Amino acid sequence: MTDEVVHLENISKIYPLVSGDVLALDNISLSIKTGEFVAIIGPSGSGKSTLLNQLGCLDVPTSGDLKIDGRSITQMSDYELTHLRLISIGFIFQKFNLLPLLSAYENVEYPYTLKYRKRDSSGRVSKLLAMVGINEELAKHKPSELSGGQQQRVAIARSLVNNPKILLCDEPTGNLDSKTGHLVMNMLKKLNSRGKTLIIVTHDPGIAALADRIITIRDGQIVSDVGNVS
Amino acid sequence: MKDIIFAMAVRNVRINILRSILAAIGITIGIISIASMGMLGTNMTASVTDSLSSMADKLTVNPYSGKGGGGGGGPPGMGSESDNLTKKQFKDIEKIVGKYGFVYGVHNIRAKVKKGSDEWNTQVYGLEVSAMRTILDNLTAGGYPSSDNSVLIGTRFASDNDLELGSRFSVGGNGVKVSGIIESRGMTMDLNTDSAIVMTKDKYESLFGAKDEFGQANIVLNDINDAETVTNAIESQMNRREENVRVQDSSRMVSMISSSVTTITSFASLIASISLLVAAVSIFNIMMMSVTERIREIGVLRSIGTQKKEILRMFVYEATLIGIIGAILGMVFSLVMGYFFILIMVGSVKYFFTYESLIHLPYAMAVGLVICIFSGLYPAWRGAQMDPIEALRAE
Ligand SMILES: Nc1ncnc2c1ncn2[C@@H]1O[C@H](COP(=O)(O)OP(=O)(O)O)[C@@H](O)[C@H]1O
Ligand SMILES: [Mg+2]
Repeated sequence: MTDEVVHLENISKIYPLVSGDVLALDNISLSIKTGEFVAIIGPSGSGKSTLLNQLGCLDVPTSGDLKIDGRSITQMSDYELTHLRLISIGFIFQKFNLLPLLSAYENVEYPYTLKYRKRDSSGRVSKLLAMVGINEELAKHKPSELSGGQQQRVAIARSLVNNPKILLCDEPTGNLDSKTGHLVMNMLKKLNSRGKTLIIVTHDPGIAALADRIITIRDGQIVSDVGNVS
Repeated sequence: MKDIIFAMAVRNVRINILRSILAAIGITIGIISIASMGMLGTNMTASVTDSLSSMADKLTVNPYSGKGGGGGGGPPGMGSESDNLTKKQFKDIEKIVGKYGFVYGVHNIRAKVKKGSDEWNTQVYGLEVSAMRTILDNLTAGGYPSSDNSVLIGTRFASDNDLELGSRFSVGGNGVKVSGIIESRGMTMDLNTDSAIVMTKDKYESLFGAKDEFGQANIVLNDINDAETVTNAIESQMNRREENVRVQDSSRMVSMISSSVTTITSFASLIASISLLVAAVSIFNIMMMSVTERIREIGVLRSIGTQKKEILRMFVYEATLIGIIGAILGMVFSLVMGYFFILIMVGSVKYFFTYESLIHLPYAMAVGLVICIFSGLYPAWRGAQMDPIEALRAE
């Protein structure tokens, strides 16, 4: 029980629309252990992103119970959810989503400053940037001056700065060429091998093949959940 | 740049500097308008009070004939006996005023004047020469009458009728000679000499009668603060049974004029503040634009752990920065434009650099800034309330 970092019980998500309710997640139950590498696959519109948003505390389910690191989030206030996103979750997006007003260095430092109310003097930001292969010169640049691969590497460094329990990635290589995609995946895989829980939404079978476990979703339901021994 | 939220607000203003300045100019114009109006009011009041205070220490006493005649200072009709103060009344007034100031009697009448073949009516005053020396101490030319056949005339009377020192003309059928010309005294209550003739008391009485019975008694107070005491004393002693005299206090008129100047300029300030309303709309607009453009950024900020109130703070900072730019520009331009505006409108900047005048600058700046922040509040709130998932999806 203690090493269960994510626990979902009968989770449903309904989007009420005038044209009729959309059942985006249909009674999903699921547990993910610390250090697991899970790939979520499924056709477009099946509910992968919706599921990831619930895991990332960006949204709360319509019904069911969702525990992150042992704490139920379904009754949490917006303030608490936001704080949980800051300290426990690292996001990596398909479109990188760096802050355009800040330099690469400042982008990585931003969540740290929010959490500790001060600038980083421990060298953590520089260390993370070096780890993802962004040198000091590049770190001074604004995101618009970086290539896609460089931006995604900065985004990985940013997601790690507050040492989160879980890394959530929605199509992290979707906007990258295959070579850069590979580089980014290797980086993520290495983080996982050092103990970080990694949950990746993808439709790329090559990426899914890297995971320990593959969950397939269709019409908001889990249709298969298998270990990957290959 | 310790506060990253503030730093982002600064950078966004800098990146959109042209737009920010354009929005700020609205606030600048608003600040210029209300600061200039405020300063104009203060400077105008100060300079009006200044020019009126010379007449503020004067009281006039007129006989009350029951005929209405109101308005005091003006000339009474062709001298019927009842229109004059009696000898006793004048003595009483002198006694009451006593140590408070100086009293002199004024004869006045509109009389026929003839020069060559021209004939017209004009205001004629009869005064003791000693009173002339004290009250009309500003002759542009000549001297005081040394004989009863010499008169003083006002500058306007002189220029209108081509008269100069030594010129001769006739008043009430009697020839006189100009011995001196009185400098313009402007708006006064006691003696309006600019278009008048001033002759000696004896000459006046020999021409128009009314021996020792003046049409008006003028009082020059030593201390302006005694105006009320003296007015009350005269009224309580002389009007005990029936209304015999009317006392006019010119300080009351001065304060009335000052207060209407204040009213007018306050009204102008009110109108000027409409321009601030326009500025508020443009700030609102710019801030809405800034929020809308940055929806996706808000989504990112929120998803990586930025609280709603921090988003709110970021946009309020932005509005505040625009406000500060506007306020600083407003202060500089208010100083420069206000200075010339007042120089033109009031004719003097003697009071421009006084506390009462310059206080309008920080006041207008504060109003502009507050309006700017208020206009930014709703857009900021809208930004903060944005759903992170929706915001992330925005293009
Ligand atoms: N905010 C929303 N409002 C209404 N319907 C939504 C919303 N978000 C997602 N959906 C619907 O929920 C379903 C699952 O969407 P999503 O999780 O984005 O799928 P995926 O990521 O697998 O492509 C889709 O049918 C989508 O149209
Ligand atoms: Mg998706």
